[in-house]
Amino acid sequence: MSDFDQILVGEEWENTDLSLLETLDHVLNRGLVIAGEITIAVADIDLIFVGLNVMVSSVETAQEVLRKRQMTE
Amino acid sequence: MKLYVYCLAEGVDRLHKSPRGVAGTSVQIVKFEDLSALVSVCRSEAFRVTRKNALAHHEVVQSITKQTTPLPARFGTLVTVQQLQNYVSTHRLAIKAKLAQVRGRTEMNVRMIETITGTDASYESKNENGLGPGTAFLLEKRKKILRDEADVAQKKQLSAWLHEKLGELIKEEKISVVSSETVILAKADHLIERADVQKYRTRMARAIEERPEIRFMVSGPWPPYSFANIELEFSRQFGVT
Repeated sequence: MSDFDQILVGEEWENTDLSLLETLDHVLNRGLVIAGEITIAVADIDLIFVGLNVMVSSVETAQEVLRKRQMTE
Repeated sequence: MKLYVYCLAEGVDRLHKSPRGVAGTSVQIVKFEDLSALVSVCRSEAFRVTRKNALAHHEVVQSITKQTTPLPARFGTLVTVQQLQNYVSTHRLAIKAKLAQVRGRTEMNVRMIETITGTDASYESKNENGLGPGTAFLLEKRKKILRDEADVAQKKQLSAWLHEKLGELIKEEKISVVSSETVILAKADHLIERADVQKYRTRMARAIEERPEIRFMVSGPWPPYSFANIELEFSRQFGVT
C-alpha cells in the first residue's frame, strides 16, 4: 500500500487491516459526489457492511485486536 | 459508454505514471479548460465493491498527489461525458475554490475510542422493568437526547483540546462524535500543509501520551477525501442546489 501505512497509535495495532479499513472508509464514505451518480454493486457482503459502517467496524476491529493482544500478553 | 471518475484536479496535462484503475482499466485525463478529471472509460453500469477495486481507486487518486492536490471522487462515480461536462461547467467556481483550499495540503485523521467506566446516572432510570410501551419509548427518547447533548459537548471539548495540541497546524477541521452507554467514538479530520506532516505526528504523539484513558489511531497523509465534497458549500455560497 502507499505512505498512509504510517499509522501512529497509542498502542501497536494491526496496521494492515486497519489501513484497509481506513482506505475503504475514505473511498466509500467520503469524496466528491458528482450529481448523485454513485453506482456500486454488491460483491461481498462484509465489504458493503464495512462501507456503510466503517467507523464502528474499524473501532470494533481495533478493539478486538487490542483484546487479543492483551490476552496473549 | 460511461466514465468512471477518480478525481478532479487543476493543471494536470498528462499523467507521469498512473496505476491501473478499477477493474484493471487504464486511466486517462479528460480536460475541461484548466480543470482535469482522471477517468477510466467503462462499459459496465456499476462497479463491484471489492477490496481490489477500492484500493485501485485510491491508488489512482494517490498517484496524482505527486503532481498536485486533487479533489477525490467517491468510489463508484460513473457518469456520461455529458454529465461530467455539465457538472464541471455548473460547479466551476466551487471546484476552483475547493482546489485552492486544498492546494499544497493533505489530510490527517485521528480516531479515538474511550470506554466509559461506571454508569452515568443521567442515562439510567431506576425502575425500567415493567414500564408500559409509551413510558419506555419516552425514556429511550430521553436517553437519546441526553446522549446527543453529551456528544455535542464532547465534540467541543475535543476540538478545543486538539487545537491546543496542534495549534496552527490545523487549517480545516471536521469532527464527529458518536457515543453509546459504554463507549465514545470520535473522529477528527484535519487539513494541514503537506510540509507539516511530521510536526503533526510528533505533536499528536505527545498529546496521546497525556491521555492514556483514550485509545488513538492517527493516519495519513491522505488525499483530501474529507474536504472534497463541495455540495454543501455550493448550495450555500452560490444559492444553487
